[in-house]
Amino acid sequence: MLRLYLRLISISLRSQMQYRLSFLLDALGSTFASLVEFITLAAALTRFGSVGGWRLGEVAFLYGLVEMAFGTMDMVFSGFDPGYFSQQIRRGTFDQFLLRPASLVLQMFGSEFILRRLGRMAQGVAVFALSLWVLNLPWTPGKLMYLPVVFVSTVAFFGGLFVVGAATCFWTVEASEAINIFTYGGSTMLSYPMHIYADWMRRFFIFVVPGALLVYYPALFFLGKPDPLGLPPFTPFLAPLAGFGVLAVAFAFWQIGVRKYASTGT
Amino acid sequence: MRPHEGQPVRGGEAASADWRAYAALARMALQRQLAYRFANVSGLLTNGFFGLLRAYVLIALFGARHAGRVAGYSMGDAITYTGLTQALIAYIALWGWWDLMRSIRTGEVASDLSRPLDFFWYWCAQDFGRAAAQMLVRGLPIMAAYALVFRITLPPTPLHWLALLVTLALALFISFCWRFIVSLSAFWMQDAVGIGRMAWILVTFLSGFLMPVAFLPDWMQALMRYTFFPAMINTVVEVYLGVLSGPALPGALAAQLLWAVILYALARLVLAAGVRKLVVQGG
Repeated sequence: MLRLYLRLISISLRSQMQYRLSFLLDALGSTFASLVEFITLAAALTRFGSVGGWRLGEVAFLYGLVEMAFGTMDMVFSGFDPGYFSQQIRRGTFDQFLLRPASLVLQMFGSEFILRRLGRMAQGVAVFALSLWVLNLPWTPGKLMYLPVVFVSTVAFFGGLFVVGAATCFWTVEASEAINIFTYGGSTMLSYPMHIYADWMRRFFIFVVPGALLVYYPALFFLGKPDPLGLPPFTPFLAPLAGFGVLAVAFAFWQIGVRKYASTGT
Repeated sequence: MRPHEGQPVRGGEAASADWRAYAALARMALQRQLAYRFANVSGLLTNGFFGLLRAYVLIALFGARHAGRVAGYSMGDAITYTGLTQALIAYIALWGWWDLMRSIRTGEVASDLSRPLDFFWYWCAQDFGRAAAQMLVRGLPIMAAYALVFRITLPPTPLHWLALLVTLALALFISFCWRFIVSLSAFWMQDAVGIGRMAWILVTFLSGFLMPVAFLPDWMQALMRYTFFPAMINTVVEVYLGVLSGPALPGALAAQLLWAVILYALARLVLAAGVRKLVVQGG
């Protein structure tokens, strides 16, 4: 199965790499676009000192982690990108996937891998590296092992949001713009410490769409900060449950959508 | 009206005095934009949500200083700023405008150039129509929503309201000239789209969209003010909030006007060069 996946994405990759210079400019542009936001934040922090009590290094830790994970997800889940997928449905190319004797989900993952989005992930790595350099965090083996778990869980979380967005296209092809609030809005929101937001926003992103459990709470653990919101002490360790839970629910929803689509005989 | 045989393409000629034609173009563009209703509603929600996030970040930045002023801005000003900038995104097509570039790449531009209307004003009129529609369906609703959720500030004097109208028009014109010039790069470059993307990012970075220019370090402010980018957003913001008052107000408008003239001249130059290239190639 892995071999089939790799072959599928290699088609997309090769066509993207056809114009090397063009691709390089695109990737650099994507890095630049993301960096511009962080540079501006850092510049403002020289005047304000902290945001919600968190200094530059601490914000960079959170920000970098979210950007790394989102950027990675953006590439891996390109096939499920609601904006892209709505076109697939409209053009009828998705129907071909249903006819082929291979796993639908595998084909979805293999249908696209937008490499230029590497730029956003690269920016995340740079910002995260900056945070590690500025802060002198006491790393324990436990923390070192948990960090990649948090990263993968966050990729799964955002991926789940993409899958939900793609699935909504089975009902209404235009709903994908609304999903942007959760994917792009969510990633922006989670890049900053949760306690700066209003109560209802915090509660929503902890209990309904549990993004805060994936980055903010683990960050409190890594940075050794107390929880200002008073949740149980095991909360920072719920990341894998939240991330893969959201992904599982998303795929369940996806299956419902596929069944509905296939049965209406479009 | 068909162009006569042997008549050169009209890209460089003086503007036709047929204002009714340009007004009609603007009105059609406005109606076209208003027709996309669903995209407008969910886009509005997304826009509003991002505004909300940015407001909270600014509140958190102010922190203990919430009762005072930073760089001339009160916290109410800063919150209003986020609403204003969100409202302006669609108005000045902050995140990209591809219509002209597309027409060059498909070759449609040749027929655009042979119309009896001036090419620059043809596109400018349509952009103004589009922008007016966006102000109606995105800009004003966002400001209205902000007025309900937050306590926003309003322009302090009637003079400021008048200045606001002027600065909005100039900001749009400057933004249009920039987008026009960048789009024309498609006459020369294969990868004009890549250039375009960089160009739009530059606007986001240097216009004062992400943070009020006044909040940035002095050296950054100095660099930015040597460019025309702050004239697209930051000037509008500072007029609205009354940060620009007294003699500084007409001064800023005059600076904006100067940039508008410079960019217009540049646009004419680039267009003439582009048309020459097209004619030489037998377009």
